[in-house]
Amino acid sequence: MSHSTTANRSLFSGKPLRILIGFILVVNGMFPALWILFTSLKTEAELTVKPITWLPHAPTIANYLRAFTDQPLLLFLFNSFMVAILSTALTLFISVLAAYALARLQLRGRDLILSAIIAVSTFPLVTLLVPLFEIMRALGLLNTWVALILPYTVLSLPVCTLILVSFFEGIPRDLENSAMIDGCTRIGALFKVVVPLSAPGVFTAGILAFVNAWDEFLLALSFNSNPSLRTLPVGITLYQGEFAFPWPVISAALVVGIVPVAVLIVIFQERVVSGLTSGGIKG
Amino acid sequence: MATASETTLVTTHNESGTKWWTRFLDPSERTLGVLLLMPAALLLTLIIVYPVCRLIWTSFQNLSLTSGVPATFAGLENYSLMLEDPVFWETTWNTVLITLITVPGALLVGLALALMANLPFNVKWPVRLSLLIPWALPLSFAGLIFAWFFHSEYGVVNDVLRRIGIEGVIWFNSANWAFAAICLTIIWKTSSFMALIILAGLQTIPRSLYEAADVDGAGRLRQFFEITLPLLKPAIVVALIFRTITALQTFDIPFTMTRGGPGTSTATLAMYIHQNTVDFLDLGYGSALAVVMFALSMGVTAVYLRMIRAKG
Repeated sequence: MSHSTTANRSLFSGKPLRILIGFILVVNGMFPALWILFTSLKTEAELTVKPITWLPHAPTIANYLRAFTDQPLLLFLFNSFMVAILSTALTLFISVLAAYALARLQLRGRDLILSAIIAVSTFPLVTLLVPLFEIMRALGLLNTWVALILPYTVLSLPVCTLILVSFFEGIPRDLENSAMIDGCTRIGALFKVVVPLSAPGVFTAGILAFVNAWDEFLLALSFNSNPSLRTLPVGITLYQGEFAFPWPVISAALVVGIVPVAVLIVIFQERVVSGLTSGGIKG
Repeated sequence: MATASETTLVTTHNESGTKWWTRFLDPSERTLGVLLLMPAALLLTLIIVYPVCRLIWTSFQNLSLTSGVPATFAGLENYSLMLEDPVFWETTWNTVLITLITVPGALLVGLALALMANLPFNVKWPVRLSLLIPWALPLSFAGLIFAWFFHSEYGVVNDVLRRIGIEGVIWFNSANWAFAAICLTIIWKTSSFMALIILAGLQTIPRSLYEAADVDGAGRLRQFFEITLPLLKPAIVVALIFRTITALQTFDIPFTMTRGGPGTSTATLAMYIHQNTVDFLDLGYGSALAVVMFALSMGVTAVYLRMIRAKG
């Protein structure tokens, strides 16, 4: 509905032109991932043919087998998955509590806290590489999942809190009150009434936190140098040797790494868009 | 606890059907607020507040983990070293240049993508996915994919150029072309997020404004500049600030595409901080470099806050 309000106001509206524009958009968004998929299905021999071929002539899954045997790709996937899931859970837990306080309680410093949250969302975490490295080292957390989970939680905390505040504000207080009359404590009402009713918001926040953690590279590269703890983005850079770049194998590993997040995005696309555009840009 | 007060608690609370101990689980607004905000505050203290203090302190120290010597106070030594360090100036300049090129670049491309995506398509999901996939793709993956795109022999970019009769270049052998390839990659990666934000803004503009403009005889272009752009401004400003701050931290894409090469011609400040910290374990110098990046980001945030305040 709202989509059509400005749609036909656009500079272009003929149908063939619209199809062309749609095509441009899809190529812009999908081509890099598609190209990597094509590359991953080519044989080493086909890759060095000139002029280069576009579609693979004799598709092979050999590169995928090599991707899993040249490096412990499954382990990288596991590490990434665990770090992302655990930091998402921690982010959601902390931001549900904070968001409830901000949405429901009469707090004196509410505006100040909200500004602080927005300030944290623009904070350049990279500048804290040295002190975080020192802290993790002092706490003996280098080369553990925790060294990544804690900073990733901070990374997603602001956006998740903002999304949840706006969802919680939409839940009628009466529902909470009647739960409390039925003997529920306030905290009980939060987890039994408010959170379930805000499930779409919690879910949206969770997806954003998951993608943020899944994508992070610099801290993972710096804090977890132990091969058995590497996450996927760090692990994939290991396929390249000093001079050799086994591109079909790297491509296969990239495809494997893209699939989980792509599936998430395909299933929950509308939710992700609403999360990005509501929580992300509240200024 | 005295029995007397327990009894009173029980009697008062039994009226609303709760037991005395729920008082501890059902504290006053203020206590509850403190309790609920505590985990967030603790985490932010550990991961941001304390590290910021530590960062500034360490930047005035001689602290190298390779030497095994305990930290000593260095005063401004790290900073004076930095001012004479050509690599510091080069990486800082590269970072600023990447910001100045890719932020407006991503804005323009993002605006174009958003205007295109706002057309009344019959099927909406392919367009939506086309904007979401680049956003969800890890930066490091984008760097690797585009390194392969720009491969001089077997890359698709040089292949397309050859087909339209242009001789490709060996992208990663030349400082300028490597830099251009990195900027193009960053613009591609970040423009779709910009487009999503702008698209959301576009969809909130009421149609009646355009109808009124039609009645007044304003052309499409004029409507774009006098209705669409001004109303998009708040969304664009916020997106620009976030993009600028992340551009100052650019690391993943140059690292995966060129490792800063040839030489240090495409290295960024974040890469130099990472090298000094993790490779050289020179924490004092790494901190001084980080303080500079911190100051750059704070400058951007200050401009941001001033803009918000100016808006009222």
